[in-house]
Amino acid sequence: MKTIEYVITDPVGVHARPAGLLVKKAASYKSNIMLKNMETGKSADAKRIMSVMSLGVKQGNKIELSIEGEDEDAASSGLEDFLKENL
Amino acid sequence: MGFLDGVFKKKDLEIGSPAKGKCVSIKTVPDPTFSEEILGKGVAVEPSEGKFYAPADGKISTLFATKHAVGVTTAEGAEILIHVGLDTVNLKGEHFTAHVEEGAAVKKGALLLEADLEAIAAAGYKTITPILICNTGDFKEVVPGEERMVSPGDSVLSIKL
Repeated sequence: MKTIEYVITDPVGVHARPAGLLVKKAASYKSNIMLKNMETGKSADAKRIMSVMSLGVKQGNKIELSIEGEDEDAASSGLEDFLKENL
Repeated sequence: MGFLDGVFKKKDLEIGSPAKGKCVSIKTVPDPTFSEEILGKGVAVEPSEGKFYAPADGKISTLFATKHAVGVTTAEGAEILIHVGLDTVNLKGEHFTAHVEEGAAVKKGALLLEADLEAIAAAGYKTITPILICNTGDFKEVVPGEERMVSPGDSVLSIKL
């Protein structure tokens, strides 16, 4: 399993558009990917839009992605790049 | 085709318009997040009144802190997102009033949100409201309604279960 920690810098947080893009990216990998809002302790399947949005991740919140599966190395680096570019 | 087909055929789930206004194709929404269906298939309503009602029986699965968008999950598992206006996240809750809390059970037609449409437009934001099925892939098909004037509760999306 791989984990990524990241602090959200986007002023609107993980809102509709970035949530949609994050889910699309996560869904492009076979691995199971969980997103956790470290501020609230709530976690969600990173491949489900409504679940991701319901975490209410805001600017300044720390998140953790847990990635487990056959393509976890590719998913981990791909998602890390995505977070830096988009969130 | 057996005679049991009719007995076991599941009914489509009809999603009601959350607002009074004009039902239009999602493709007309000038924001690729919605028109390219990144968040799921759906439809849009150009609201003529700033009251937004539950589009189906369900549970409030998400209510954005900025009160401009609300998610309702139905008993059938459909995850419906109502996003009032475009880029309205930037208003940080101003001109919006929520009438429900996250986790609440709602009946179709319950008042969810109120929005001051004139103030939102005056602030430079479009009030067109996409209604999306976030988990479109869980269903056979999500069919948008035809372009027409609608009242709250009139079907604007059919979900084939």
